[in-house]
Amino acid sequence: MRGMMGVFSELDSTVEAIEELKQRKVGDLTVFSPTPRHELEHAVHPPMSGVRKFTLIGALSGVCFGFWIAIWGSNYWPLVVGGKAISTWLPYVVFGFEVMVMVGALSTVFGMFYLAGIPRLTMTVGYDPRFSRGSYGIFCECAPEQLVEAESILRRHGAVEVRGEK
Amino acid sequence: MATLAHPDDLRRPNIASADIQLPAVTSYEQVDNEILAVLKPTKAWFASLMLAIACLGLGAFSWIYQIHQGLGVAGYNPPVMWGVYIITFVFWVGIGHAGTLISAILYLFRAGFRTTIYRAAEAMTVFAVMTAGLFPIIHIGRPWKFFWLIPYPNWRLIWPNFKSPLVWDVFAITTYLTISTTFLFVGLIPDIAVLRDRETNPIRRKILGFLSFGWRNTEREWRHFARAYLFLAAFSTPLVLSVHSVVSFDFAMGIVPGWHTTIFPPYFVAGAIFSGFAMVWTIIIPMRRWFGLRHYVTLNHLDASAKMVLFTSLVVGLAYMIEFFIAWYGGVKYEQDYFWNRVFGQWWWAAWIMLTCNMILPLSLFSQKLRRNPTWLWILSIFINIGMWFERFVIVVPSLSHDVEPWQWSSYMPTWVDYGLLIGSFGWFFMWFLLFVKQLPVMALAEIKEIIPPRMKHTHSHGGH
Repeated sequence: MRGMMGVFSELDSTVEAIEELKQRKVGDLTVFSPTPRHELEHAVHPPMSGVRKFTLIGALSGVCFGFWIAIWGSNYWPLVVGGKAISTWLPYVVFGFEVMVMVGALSTVFGMFYLAGIPRLTMTVGYDPRFSRGSYGIFCECAPEQLVEAESILRRHGAVEVRGEK
Repeated sequence: MATLAHPDDLRRPNIASADIQLPAVTSYEQVDNEILAVLKPTKAWFASLMLAIACLGLGAFSWIYQIHQGLGVAGYNPPVMWGVYIITFVFWVGIGHAGTLISAILYLFRAGFRTTIYRAAEAMTVFAVMTAGLFPIIHIGRPWKFFWLIPYPNWRLIWPNFKSPLVWDVFAITTYLTISTTFLFVGLIPDIAVLRDRETNPIRRKILGFLSFGWRNTEREWRHFARAYLFLAAFSTPLVLSVHSVVSFDFAMGIVPGWHTTIFPPYFVAGAIFSGFAMVWTIIIPMRRWFGLRHYVTLNHLDASAKMVLFTSLVVGLAYMIEFFIAWYGGVKYEQDYFWNRVFGQWWWAAWIMLTCNMILPLSLFSQKLRRNPTWLWILSIFINIGMWFERFVIVVPSLSHDVEPWQWSSYMPTWVDYGLLIGSFGWFFMWFLLFVKQLPVMALAEIKEIIPPRMKHTHSHGGH
């Protein structure tokens, strides 16, 4: 993993640098920001997050399990209450709903972790502690012959620091 | 219709919550420095922590004494077999409602005033539900058998009664605790990364690095984070409404005068939000003063939350009135007798504490001047906390002590063990909260930074948020 990293203090400079790097097809970009910004998302133009698939699968599994455990448990140990049916759907909606929320939410978090590539035990190249405080950053992973061009684009757009990383 | 406030006119017109800004906060560095300054321990903090631990010690002693002597040392007097423990359980579950409401429901409604208060409210939720969860266990007398309520394959080959509201409660509270904790922790990850990057002690840095899961603030991480947060909010929204509805079923499913009523779920949910917001005030108002955070939790924030409290107070007041109306209109003698006894008979003092604190005093919030007076809001929050505890007392005790048949009529008097455990619950709650405020950011750094206009090279493009 080799590339050039630029640290920016202004949001619009970062956006302009991303746009030019993308236009000139200089390597793969990783953009850093202390807070989510729509401007950066529009400049990077990433695909839609796939977290929703994890949410859907988790929620459907949860609702099925919630109903199943209540129905199976009731049938396995039949307790007649007030002359009512052994398995009754209406009160079991509580279990279906609660387990749907629990499994759906936990699988959403799992999906976020999986797709975002965390947990990560070590900080990989191209990270600077300033990115969590107030600075923006672009790490351009590229071939050795493109490093000079990446550096010049980053500097031209006002990066306060540009450095090679590997 | 949104109305905007002129910066020079802080009192009027009313400020639409979604438009609340932080004019005194101008840079990301300022946010980090001011909010993370809260983490430095102070003598007052140590003193508060010691007080909380002392209260917890009293609660622990009372519980050990009860386990040793048996449940008879609590003030139960047949047929009043639900008392302070169940009242306090419902009270703390209610307190736990505001956090997820502020985090999730107000997030989906884009209510800006949530931004600086939701982290404290979320932490409050988690600790309140942890506190609430103790009480059914304390109440069962043999607390080491509590796991019998959980459905799992076992050698006894028996399963819980899935038609019992008490089992619904186990599922609802467990789900709520899990999701509230998850919501709190997921929101904390980027902020823990800020702490990690500022930390100079290598051991603490390693621990914070582990807790932040190696978060790097990449656009990819933020994209999935934002989507996951939205879905968590969408899940949590019906969950908030369902949890206290399920708690209300503990009562509404019983054929007891004053309990067997269909208005309980919305009545309980509104009451929970009402009491939860009051506890948020109890915590936030001193915090903004002591930690110098008045420009984060501004009068506009308090004003907006006061409107929420006023609204929920009106809903709760309406529920009280509907209960009386239906008792009269229904024409059932036992029901009428019960409600008369509740307000003018045996339990008049508890009912009037409830009505005064929850219905009458909050009407003061119609005054904008009082809505923007933090001292009054804090005093009011204490009254509401007391009033909401008594609301649960009024629901639980008068119904059980004045059932349908006169031979069952009885009274109830809590003992020092009940009071010890009640005080201990406050100690337990505040101990966790005080530890939290000195270890992790009490306001969401990343979300506050989103409100602040970012630094720009060209002022004409990419305007602020």
